[in-house]
Parts: sequence; C-alpha cells; structure tokens
Amino acid sequence: MSDYLLTQIINQGAPLFGLILFMGALGVPVPASILLIAAGAFSQQGILTWYSAAILGLLGAVLGDAVSFGIGYYARDWVQARFGKSATWKSARDTFDSRAGMAVYLTRFLITALAVPTNLIAGGSGIRFRRFMTYDTLGEMTWVILYGGLGYWFGSNWEVVSDFISNFGGLLLGIVLLGAGIWLGTRQLKKRAATLDLDLEE
Amino acid sequence: MTPSQQRILTIGLVTLGVLIVGFFGLRTFHAFREFRGHRPPGPPFGDKHAETDVELIRDWMTIGSLSRMYDMPHRLLYDALGIPPNGNEKKSLKQLNDEYFPDQPGFVLETVKAAIQANLPPPTATPTSSP
Repeated sequence: MSDYLLTQIINQGAPLFGLILFMGALGVPVPASILLIAAGAFSQQGILTWYSAAILGLLGAVLGDAVSFGIGYYARDWVQARFGKSATWKSARDTFDSRAGMAVYLTRFLITALAVPTNLIAGGSGIRFRRFMTYDTLGEMTWVILYGGLGYWFGSNWEVVSDFISNFGGLLLGIVLLGAGIWLGTRQLKKRAATLDLDLEE
Repeated sequence: MTPSQQRILTIGLVTLGVLIVGFFGLRTFHAFREFRGHRPPGPPFGDKHAETDVELIRDWMTIGSLSRMYDMPHRLLYDALGIPPNGNEKKSLKQLNDEYFPDQPGFVLETVKAAIQANLPPPTATPTSSP
C-alpha cells in the first residue's frame, strides 16, 4: 500500500497528502509517518512544495484528531455505562486526566501507534476540547517539523531514516506496554502485601 | 476487575511488551547501523542538486519524478523504453512494466536505471589542497 500511496502523492501532490494524514488520524491504517518523511524528501527534490505539504499535512492531521476526539466524546455515555462502576477504569481515567496534555503531545510524534486510542480516551474522559487541541497542535507541529525535516534533509536517502524511525516507534511502544505491565504488577504486589499485613495485625 | 483478571492482564502486557521490545529492538539496532552509514546527500537548504545514485530508483516512482530527481529530460527516459509520454505521465514504473512488458518483470526499472546512468554528468574532480 505504501508504494501505491507514494505514487499517488507524487501525482496528486499536497492535497492528497493532507487527506491521507486526515484518514490516518481517524485510525485508517496508513503509514502516515513514512509518508511524512517521504513528503519531506519530495519537497527537497522539487516534486512537492514544502510549505503546502507542511500546511495541508498539519491541517489534515489536526482535523483528523479533532474528529476522533469527537468520536470519543460521543461514545463516552456508552463507555461510562459499560465500565463506569469499575474502580480500575476510574483510576485509569484519573491518571489519564492528570497527564492528558503530555500524553496527547508525546503520542503525536513519539509513540504514534497510541495516537488514535489517546484521542478516543481524551474525548471520553471529559478533558476540554481547547486543552486537547492545544497539545495536539503542538504535537502535530513537532511531528511535521521533525519527520518532514528529516526527510527534507536526507532527500533521496529518506528510506534509511524512515526504516529507523518506524522500528524505533515500535520499540517505544513495546517499552510502554512493558512499563504498564510492570507498573500494574507492582501495584498488585503492594496491594497483596498490605492485605497480608492487615491480616497479621488482626 | 477481579484479581485473577488483573493478573492475566499484567502477564499479557509484560509478555507482549518483551516480545515487541525484542523484535523492534533488533530491527532498530540494524536500522541504526544502516542509518549511521548514510549522510545527508548535500546541503539541506539552498540550491537543489541532482541525484547521481541510480540504486535509489524504486518501481513506485514515475518517469516525471525521476526526471526531476536526476535533472534529466523525461523524453529521454520514454525514448529508452520505447513508449509514448502521452497517457503515461502518472503511471509508476511498475504500472508501465505491467502494461507494456508484462512478460519481462523488472525490465522498465532496469532500463530506466541504465538510461539515467548513461546520461549522468561526468563526476567533477574535488579540488585537493596543495601543501
């Protein structure tokens, strides 16, 4: 699919690029980061105009994020009815609320695989849309400048950069999952130890 | 969530995390070695320079994009393939191959590479500093 999309971006230019990033932000499985690096390289080669690619790409990504935030917002009643009474859900929601800005910002460019779930959770958790959009726009700008800039800088050698970044993103995702597992496990052990202490005291 | 469900979730997250870290860790290491071996091809800003390495040509590229990338008239590449430019501007090398040379896989890619290589400007000698 990447090859087909790359050919179409060469032919249709920045508007299609923006549309693809919009779809990616909605959760359609498109290799958005790879295409962004490629768009940077195409700009260096004179195939795309860098500012139109940057503006339309940013616009597409931010609009897509806003829509997926909206989906989370309108699905929150269902989520609340389904998980609202669970203590774990409440705890997870509180943890997210306290770190929402950083989570939104970092998932835009560092752990991009978690961007769409973060949008949905943010929409459902009740954080304000303006706050979400501030961190989201900052994060997407970082993404466009960093990844697009690398593509522009490396030009025709962009595939080497893209390969490294894709794998590094996967590695970070693994570290996040592992960290979450260790954090949960530690919490369970502490809880169990506290219960044992109480039992001994009685 | 019951304690046993929490335990399953924890074990699942740790197992998945270890697998993903192992898989992508190795790939990242290899990609980093490749990455370090490459330097940006030229000045990132300022004058655009034409590419000279034909090994960077891929079959998703179009004749038009290659013409820009290697600063070469697109007519020259169509002539090398023996096909007309009209109606083929937006087709990738793979699409051109499938349409015009279906029984010769990779023919268009190799022909275009050879045509560009043959028409690249001669390498300019880098000035050496005299003692």
